[in-house]
Amino acid sequence: MKELLAPLKTHNRSVLTLLLLAAFIWSLFSVTWSRDLVHAGGWTTTVQIFEGLIKPDLSPEIVALAIESSWVTVVYAVTGMTVALIIAFIFGILGSGVLFSSHAVRVIAMGIFRGILATIRAIHELVWALLFVAVIGLSPYAAVFALGIPYGGILGRILADMINDVPKEPIQALRAAGASRLQCLLYGYLPLVRANMISYTMYRFECSIRSSAIMSFVGLGGLGYQIQLSLSDLNYDEVWTFLFFLIAIVVLIDAWSNSLRKRLVL
Amino acid sequence: MKNKVQIPRKKRRFSFVSFSILLVFALLAGSWGHILFIERAHFFELFNERNLEYAKKFFSGLFGFQEEKPAFVDKESWKNAIQLTYETLQMSVMALGFATIVAMLTVIPASRTIADGTLTVSKRWYHWILFGIIRGLYIFSRAVPELVFAMVIVFIFKPGILPGAIALALHNFGIIGKLCAEVIEDTDARPIRNLASAGASNAQILFYGIIPAVMPKFLTYILYRGEVIMRTSIVVGFVGAGGLGQQFKLSLSYFHYTEITLLLICYIILVFIADFISEGFRKAAR
Repeated sequence: MKELLAPLKTHNRSVLTLLLLAAFIWSLFSVTWSRDLVHAGGWTTTVQIFEGLIKPDLSPEIVALAIESSWVTVVYAVTGMTVALIIAFIFGILGSGVLFSSHAVRVIAMGIFRGILATIRAIHELVWALLFVAVIGLSPYAAVFALGIPYGGILGRILADMINDVPKEPIQALRAAGASRLQCLLYGYLPLVRANMISYTMYRFECSIRSSAIMSFVGLGGLGYQIQLSLSDLNYDEVWTFLFFLIAIVVLIDAWSNSLRKRLVL
Repeated sequence: MKNKVQIPRKKRRFSFVSFSILLVFALLAGSWGHILFIERAHFFELFNERNLEYAKKFFSGLFGFQEEKPAFVDKESWKNAIQLTYETLQMSVMALGFATIVAMLTVIPASRTIADGTLTVSKRWYHWILFGIIRGLYIFSRAVPELVFAMVIVFIFKPGILPGAIALALHNFGIIGKLCAEVIEDTDARPIRNLASAGASNAQILFYGIIPAVMPKFLTYILYRGEVIMRTSIVVGFVGAGGLGQQFKLSLSYFHYTEITLLLICYIILVFIADFISEGFRKAAR
């Protein structure tokens, strides 16, 4: 068996590429390719959408509305990230297992907390939003928690992985000097992962802006809500105005996090 | 002399970081202030009797306490859900395929080292223009969420798997393209320049110089995006682009709560399997 698998191992990248290609071709068979795929008025709609791109609606009311909803989008993103960071710190530190001294307890705790993190991040934020709206109604907290919980899952997993990847020597030095587990965490692990964690959080913050924009799909204000309203009114020129605002926020935050990352990591 | 150059630099670095810290605090204060005082949303008011009633109803609905035949013990519903899961899987794979193809077609002019000619030792006047256009496209595709793409695309295509796959691909090709362009920028330029100076044509440089060097990282990023696409595939269904999401939204509108539980179970299993496979593949690609 091993001899049979040996050539696979040496060419594993080509095998993998072929596998992915085969999967793609298999997926193409799921669609019956015909002219029926496009709506009767599909082509005219496409032309209208691109006409909106050339002439976005820049009237003062729309721009004011766009600025206001951009702010709401940022508000949900920031508050969601706050919740996410709290979740990430609690579950990430517990899930890394550095606080537990006995081996058995550590393995069990890592399994439980990492399992929780995996489950909450497997569900998309919009699904969380739908569930929260069903339970607590259209409160801003529905958006905050819907964003915070899955992002907390992602950040917590990354934090736990980073803590586990910390080099052993500084920690051993701390242990030898008589530091407790908690002191090891505060003075050993956390300072060592700080820079990486901040840079990853900044990257996630950029993603959370996008997610918070689509939060409004379930009825919680923001840029996505305006986009949806304008789309239902078939005002493509307004859609483009809101899209430009969304792109501007994302690009601004991207630039900010890039320059901060360069200064932190280097 | 050296000191004089270094000191102002260090000062600027410090001030940028402290500016960022200030900005973070300002954003935090502004956002929580907005939520607490302008929208007047109070956290503890959430725990009132009405919400408790809703929550009770919702969760007992999810677990099927009131229904005689919950969907997750019904054979027919399972069959339906598995069929939908299969469709969602196909949609994600197709989306990943489209995104990868478009990204691979555009990635080479989109990397800075090709545009300024340091990698291939050849300069063309149109390189920077191509670079600008493609990078602009990448930014656009990255900044617009897949759901917005899906909302627009269902205006053009009829509901089904294809519009969902296109929406997912439109958002992801920019991300794959950006990540892969950065990989090309980070590759060691010396072997490729060697090829170029030995007289290799552009195609030869591509196939013998660039592709072997960047392949492992490309595969890693593509698989990573595949994982994310699998997770987001449910969302594009909400606006009628097919798959699990469409059924999820319908069941929620009809208050068929046990069906939601079933669909959520299928969705989570799908995401877990995708994570597992992609992790295994990524190890193989290294």
